[in-house]
Amino acid sequence: MKLVPIYAIAGALTLATMLPQQAAADDLVVGAAISLTGGLAYADVPAQKGMQLAIDEINAAGGIGGKYKIDLRLKDSRSDPAQTSIAAQELIDDGASVLVTPCDADPSIGAGQMAQSAGVAAFSTCASSPNLPLAVGDHMFTNFPGDNVQATVSAKYAIDSGYKNAYILISPDTSYTQLPNYFKTVFETLGGKVVGEDNFSIGQQDFSAQVTKIKSLEPAADVIMTAAYEPDFPAFIKQLRAAGITAPVIGSDGIDSPTTFALGDVAEGVVFSTAGFAAPGSPLEAFNAKYKAANGENPDTIFSAIGYDLIKVLEAAVLKADSVDREAIWQAVRELENVQGATSTITYKGTNGVPLRQVSLIKVVKGDRELVLQEAPDAALIPAPSL
Amino acid sequence: MEIFVQQCVNALSLGGTYALLALGLAVVFSVLGMINFAHGEILTITGYTVFFSLMLAVPAVLIIPLALIVAMLAAAAMERVAFRPLRGAGPTSLLITSFAVSGILQVLFQNLISARPRPVPIPDFLTGAFTVGPFHIGVIQSLSILATLAMVGLLTLFLKRTLLGMAIRAAAVDFPTTRLMGIRANRVILAAFAISGLLAGVSGLLWIAQRGSVDPLMGFLPVLKAFIAAILGGIGNLTGAVIGGFFLGAIEIGLQAALPEPVQPFRDAIALTLVVVVLLYRPQGLFGAVHSVRP
Amino acid sequence: MSLLEVDGLAVSYGPIKAVRDVSLVVEAGEIVTVLGANGAGKSTSLQAIIGLLPAQQGRVRFDGHDVTGESPERIVRRGMTLTPEGRRIFAPLTVEENLRIGAATQVRRGNTAELWDQMMELFPILASRRRQLAGTLSGGEQQQLAIARSLMSRPRLLLLDEPSLGLAPIVVELIFDLIGRLRDLGITILLVEQNVHQALDIADRGYVVSGGTVVLEGTAEALKASADVQKAYLGQA
Ligand SMILES: Nc1ncnc2c1ncn2[C@@H]1O[C@H](COP(=O)(O)OP(=O)(O)O)[C@@H](O)[C@H]1O
Ligand SMILES: [Mg+2]
Repeated sequence: MKLVPIYAIAGALTLATMLPQQAAADDLVVGAAISLTGGLAYADVPAQKGMQLAIDEINAAGGIGGKYKIDLRLKDSRSDPAQTSIAAQELIDDGASVLVTPCDADPSIGAGQMAQSAGVAAFSTCASSPNLPLAVGDHMFTNFPGDNVQATVSAKYAIDSGYKNAYILISPDTSYTQLPNYFKTVFETLGGKVVGEDNFSIGQQDFSAQVTKIKSLEPAADVIMTAAYEPDFPAFIKQLRAAGITAPVIGSDGIDSPTTFALGDVAEGVVFSTAGFAAPGSPLEAFNAKYKAANGENPDTIFSAIGYDLIKVLEAAVLKADSVDREAIWQAVRELENVQGATSTITYKGTNGVPLRQVSLIKVVKGDRELVLQEAPDAALIPAPSL
Repeated sequence: MEIFVQQCVNALSLGGTYALLALGLAVVFSVLGMINFAHGEILTITGYTVFFSLMLAVPAVLIIPLALIVAMLAAAAMERVAFRPLRGAGPTSLLITSFAVSGILQVLFQNLISARPRPVPIPDFLTGAFTVGPFHIGVIQSLSILATLAMVGLLTLFLKRTLLGMAIRAAAVDFPTTRLMGIRANRVILAAFAISGLLAGVSGLLWIAQRGSVDPLMGFLPVLKAFIAAILGGIGNLTGAVIGGFFLGAIEIGLQAALPEPVQPFRDAIALTLVVVVLLYRPQGLFGAVHSVRP
Repeated sequence: MSLLEVDGLAVSYGPIKAVRDVSLVVEAGEIVTVLGANGAGKSTSLQAIIGLLPAQQGRVRFDGHDVTGESPERIVRRGMTLTPEGRRIFAPLTVEENLRIGAATQVRRGNTAELWDQMMELFPILASRRRQLAGTLSGGEQQQLAIARSLMSRPRLLLLDEPSLGLAPIVVELIFDLIGRLRDLGITILLVEQNVHQALDIADRGYVVSGGTVVLEGTAEALKASADVQKAYLGQA
């Protein structure tokens, strides 16, 4: 590994943002105020790689509809809401036709509001909070199966698997880690019972207190649901299994990460919801192959494919609008139906900004993924976003 | 009753890892009067060492010593490159520098290694547990208790029995006078950093075994906890740091076990409030801060 | 060649000029005393000589080497050391540990056992306090420990900063006795004192410092006779 001095990196970043950016009149200027560093980089960096792949592909083919080249302008929002808003405003002032915001609701809200008042459609790379569009307005879109949608699929799966007593583990630290609350709603609607619930703090290395409580639950939990992710999920499941608790565990997309598959025996049988599954012949498998060809390695998270999807959505919107005008694109997004992405088909028509997407349930089997089911849940079951 | 004993084991194990980290902070603080916030990045470096060793198929028996050596060298290098040029610039400059070092390392990890967590497969026997009577004791849990005891024991021996150890204790009291003994300031400071690196390396290994991955930002939270533990124990006081670590572990586990579910989200706030209450009555911490003459 | 030559030394604490112009010489085998009122700049001078404070101007030569700007640890290894004002023993360490740290420069030479016996002979009280924490010693015992600790580095020149400060008269006697014995052991001594009479009794020569400057120098007899000594000592020069 060659060490690049920090000032060289900083210099390169500064240069990149200072270069004159002259877009041709017909270019689709995509402003991305996303996090290349800081706490959200783990999601935004892979999403950005997927976006880039789609952009290169489309531009190599002569642009959208052979006409509109995509000009991606990237500003590092450094995982900081204030920085995100500043970057978003600059990108909008700079003529961006659409805005891309980070993989989290908090920074996306501020940036989304800038987009909202400028009449620019904004997409979060991979935030899954169904509240995000509600908090911002009709110009804010998400790009991932919503927390409530994922939870509906996993709760139904739990009931269908015959589980009756669930334990849920929640962190109040983020809205995402409260996803099990949606699970609880659906699980109880379908006749199950939540016999215990606990809190944890993100980054907590110790779950012994929770595990000790789970062990003493009466009646015992026959399924455990959490949206904890790294590093909490591995620590939790290790301590859970070490305590001799064998109840099945259901997680969510946060654990769709190589770490989960490297955990060994403790993760065997864990089921989690995520945005897609690379079945043979599927678009996701094709995407993974393209990604590997471009980057020399397999994507290690679904977020890359999700970033690819985002550009495919923009492509479809521009095609529909036959324009790179902000207003026209926004109108077009609201009418999109069944756009074929790498992970799923994507529909914005008739939604409030959270797309209709399929959810894949995946089981960890011998360190590999096995598809349990893939579906868009019954709309009537999906709990309303809770604030 | 059984649950109580189980929770005590839990508290010991969690407190132990806090104690190791706090001890690392305290050793450096005791001689330099600075909190090294880049201490957490030593954990991260330890983790990446394990990750790359596994990738390069380094024999398993070598990985742990290698990781610990790298941790010590990294801490020493930090001192040499970042802090030594600022010697004498005052604790505030050093503190700010340590934040900068921490931030720069995080960005380097993100840009040069990966913004994503990297998996570190941990052998299954480490994730197991054994049963003693009615108690389930996790292997990692027991390892962290044992490692804490071993490190505290070794460190005590080192500080009491070796000349360098005595010099570190002397420097903690009165640095200039220690130099009047012909003891090289740089050696003492370097040794303090190397020790803190070793302690961070051990806690890093335990933390990695627990979480199964390395992440560019993983060092932040542990160092924050360690900071609280060190303050609680009496900043710069080594015994205090250990006790502070166990105390913090006990508070956290105790609240987790005892608080009713609706209050649980306020657990960290309550824990910190308890810490503040302790500090209100004992502003110098449980064991009294060290007031000493610094370089 | 003199053992110690200080030439035109000036030292500041930020804007405060504590030492303006101090020049002095110590020959091997001598006891030389530096007198002066509180705040005259005596301790500052000693700290600059030993390398704890940077000299702003002037040179310090020890044993023929220019040691100006060298670190204290290096200077101590050359054979000059300082027993600082206020004793500065390592209170939470035992007496034995204090002394072992004092012998840090001798460990490689392997003569710590012999040194140890020598100290126990010079300071019998320390032998019986060996395992006690240094902080629990009485003031006189602490001063003896501080001197013994300095001697553990086998100095040829010992800088002593107010060894009698705050001690009972009987202990002061003991300390001055000791200084005499050190001379007999071949150790050269630069003694800073406010105890003018006793200092001049034991010293060969002396300097009087006032306002950071040497204002008077001469043999002990001459200084004792000088009417200016009292004046300078009282800071009215
Ligand atoms: N650490 C310090 N910072 C600022 N001024 C100091 C310091 N130490 C001593 N001084 C000042 O320097 C002058 C000389 O002090 P010092 O050398 O201790 O005198 P002496 O030892 O002769 O009593 C005094 O005015 C004193 O106030
Ligand atoms: Mg003085």
